[in-house]
Amino acid sequence: MNHQTHAFHMVNPSPWPLTGALSALLITSGLTMWFHFNSMTLMLLGLLACIMTMYQWWRDIVREGTYQGHHTPTVQKGLRYGMVLFIISEVFFFAGFFWAFYHSSLAPTPELGGYWPPAGINPLNPTEVPLLNTAILLASGVSITWAHHSLMEGHRKHVIQSLLTTIILGIYFTLLQASEYFEAPFTISDGIYGSTFFVATGFHGLHVIIGSTFLTVCLIRQLLFHFTSKHHFGFEAAAWYWHFVDVVWLFLYVSIYWWGS
Amino acid sequence: MLRNLLALRQIAQRTISTASRRHFENKVPQKQKLFQEDNDIPVHLKGGVADGLLYRATMFLTVGGTAYAIYQLAVASFPKKPE
Repeated sequence: MNHQTHAFHMVNPSPWPLTGALSALLITSGLTMWFHFNSMTLMLLGLLACIMTMYQWWRDIVREGTYQGHHTPTVQKGLRYGMVLFIISEVFFFAGFFWAFYHSSLAPTPELGGYWPPAGINPLNPTEVPLLNTAILLASGVSITWAHHSLMEGHRKHVIQSLLTTIILGIYFTLLQASEYFEAPFTISDGIYGSTFFVATGFHGLHVIIGSTFLTVCLIRQLLFHFTSKHHFGFEAAAWYWHFVDVVWLFLYVSIYWWGS
Repeated sequence: MLRNLLALRQIAQRTISTASRRHFENKVPQKQKLFQEDNDIPVHLKGGVADGLLYRATMFLTVGGTAYAIYQLAVASFPKKPE
């Protein structure tokens, strides 16, 4: 049997980059079929293939790290760089939507009445549900920090409790936001106000769902004894992502909900 | 064929859990043994028969879906002219 004499991870050939790329093709061409030809088959096929690819790709990473021991400190450093760079790319993604919001709201056109919020728009009261949502996400930031410290100190039960608390807070946020969307007196097609509001908060909501899913995977892995007090990068990556989602919300709340009303 | 035999051998090595319902048993050492076995099976298939089935299903959906997408492209490229 050959043994490597370096600290890096030479991965086995994997089919998931190919299936992932093909699923992206199916999702995008599926969107075309849905928009122009009244058929959702291709898009649903693509979404299913995408979910299956993600499940198997990440499952394999868990196998390589936790079961095969390939995640040496050197490899873990690379994974850390990777997660940081990914989150930075997400920051730029949201920066675009904030740019759009400020572009339109700092100099409202005559068509809008020359002021912001535009004529005819009744914005949501920032001291009601949006403020509760702010408190929920801030609290979830506290609970996830508690989870991390419990993990580093080896308190298994506390990790499970605090991680569960964080996930429940995330779900609570999502449900409240969904209810706000349903009850809002304006829609996405209500001019530039509706567009900027729903696209920015909508993508944020999607990221809350992604983050909650990531945390749930961490909870399952914690239950299965995957994490040690010294080595738990998957959890740290989820925590970084969750804090990022929290910070984006704070910017959304201050800019769109508060200043923008 | 040989791959299937190797996979069958891996399944036979799995211990049946006797953990009580309320508490999780640490099965990581058994998983580590399974995935570190020197049998040249790539990691995406090394867990057993289910891996192969899931892999085949994923490939079927993606490759089949791509063929379907190209077919739809061909159909859309030659619209039927109204009489």
